Amino acid sequence: MSADEVIVAEGLTKVFGGRRVAVDAVSFAVRRGEIFGFLGPNGAGKSTTIALLTTLLRPSAGRARVAGHDVAAEPLAVRRQIGYVSQDVAVDDLLTGRENLHFQGRLYHLGGRELRARVEAVLEMVDLAERADDLVATYSGGMRKRLDLAAGLLHRPQVLFLDEPTLGLDVQSRQRIWGYVRRLRDEEGVTVFLTTHYMEEADTLCDRVAIIDRGEIVALGSPRALKAGLRGDRVTLALEPGADAGAARRVLERLAGVQGVEGSGDGSVRLVVADGERAVPELLRALEQAGVRVASLSLQRPTLDDVFLHHTGRQLREEPADRLARALRRARRG
Amino acid sequence: MRGFLADCWWIAWRELKHFARLRPRILASVVQPLLWLTLMGNMLQRAASIPGFPAERYLDYMAPGVMVMSTLFGATTAGLGLALDLRLGYLQKLLAAPVDRLAIAAGKALAAGLQAALQGGLIFLVALALGARFAAGPAGVPLLLLLTFLPGVLFAALALSFAAWVRSHEGLMPVLNLIVLPLVFTSNVIMPASLMPAWLAALARVNPVSFAVGPLRALFLGGAEPGRAGAAAVEAVVVLAVLAAATTALAGHLLARHRD
Repeated sequence: MSADEVIVAEGLTKVFGGRRVAVDAVSFAVRRGEIFGFLGPNGAGKSTTIALLTTLLRPSAGRARVAGHDVAAEPLAVRRQIGYVSQDVAVDDLLTGRENLHFQGRLYHLGGRELRARVEAVLEMVDLAERADDLVATYSGGMRKRLDLAAGLLHRPQVLFLDEPTLGLDVQSRQRIWGYVRRLRDEEGVTVFLTTHYMEEADTLCDRVAIIDRGEIVALGSPRALKAGLRGDRVTLALEPGADAGAARRVLERLAGVQGVEGSGDGSVRLVVADGERAVPELLRALEQAGVRVASLSLQRPTLDDVFLHHTGRQLREEPADRLARALRRARRG
Repeated sequence: MRGFLADCWWIAWRELKHFARLRPRILASVVQPLLWLTLMGNMLQRAASIPGFPAERYLDYMAPGVMVMSTLFGATTAGLGLALDLRLGYLQKLLAAPVDRLAIAAGKALAAGLQAALQGGLIFLVALALGARFAAGPAGVPLLLLLTFLPGVLFAALALSFAAWVRSHEGLMPVLNLIVLPLVFTSNVIMPASLMPAWLAALARVNPVSFAVGPLRALFLGGAEPGRAGAAAVEAVVVLAVLAAATTALAGHLLARHRD
């Protein structure tokens, strides 16, 4: 384990009831100051992995070290160094926001002036200072999530574990949470390990992403590298009426780095190219020289969804839970 | 050790805050024993004239029984509280913190014990207002509080153990319902074992509720010589404390098993 690897998992495995393999021999390392994401559908083993790393569950096989301590052998030492924000918004309705944080601080053995100062600092950070003395029962969903996040940071953990940090939040609250997580890493140097089944979250927030499916890591890397590992960007050209689509295809097929050129009946041509942004001017020049006029062009870069599809043969986007939620919304409206 | 005690205290602090914030709960904890004492006390008043009944007046007999019965209801609330923490994900937050599982169990049981003592004190005042006699006199009051605190801890730790074992709010309720009232009716809370059929009397003598009521009742009814009564009270306190500690350890152990 190198000095700046804060989390190292080797063959980490969890089997429930001797049969159901929730996490299947996963290995990865998270570097200090990194925002590292576990991306996968519900039931892929993300929460179980977090439970193993936060010492809530004991591994069935393999091992993991967090902040220099073994999760199985030294759970207490690990717990001192980490913050954990679960996907259930675990705040106490019958306490005020400030009381929630004071209680949390006591659990981490903070006290006196240090605790008071730290509580004020995190309340400021998540913009809850004004409502700090109201009972949490009166908070909105977004406020509760922010309070929960604040509780996770209170004791300045080396590693912060966020299990589905923006589950069920609206777009605005989601972006606010992303902002806090970035600031936390930039200003306090906290290493963040998060799980998500939102592709955009993994893409925009995480430095590196492990894609997990059915308990196994199927791909690991920066979102950019993962996407670049696919065949490339998809370009769709719509030709001017009367333009010669056959000629266009022949011109394009001769260009270096262009693959999978295919035409369609409506006069458009599709192709895949390694680096779309650089390739497009070249494509247009070549077509112009051949006398083919282009009406419009669209460039589609691969998403993490495409990466997931590539590795698992299934799409990440359409979650059964999301489908159910949509069906329920429709039913209520109807 | 200091860290452990501090953890216990802060866990208990949260429970006591809940208690203080839920006004209906405080009200109910006074009104309920009042109902038991007036309704049951009046209904069974003539029981005291049965030959061999150990008290002159039924109220003096019933009051300590109601105190212990209230600790059972308080224990139910503690068990359901833990199950609710589990359901809401709050328990996971406690378990992820550098806090001993035993401190989590002990803190919650401690809070239940303190509530039981408070409630015991209130029932005591109500009983006195209704005309109960307290043979031990003012000097017996601290002992009375201790003898409600300890059963409060003991029964709460038992309910917490069930909660940690069953691991569901819905599953716990029927289990506690199944246990609590039979535990009361097979004890000497309402009738002395000497007036029960033999099989029920045998149950009543091994019932921990009877055991908790015994020393409290001695404070109300008196009777034994002062030296003997003191020794019996010390013995009861020691045994209750050991049972409470063992049951709390069991609850802590069952919480620790949530890792597997």
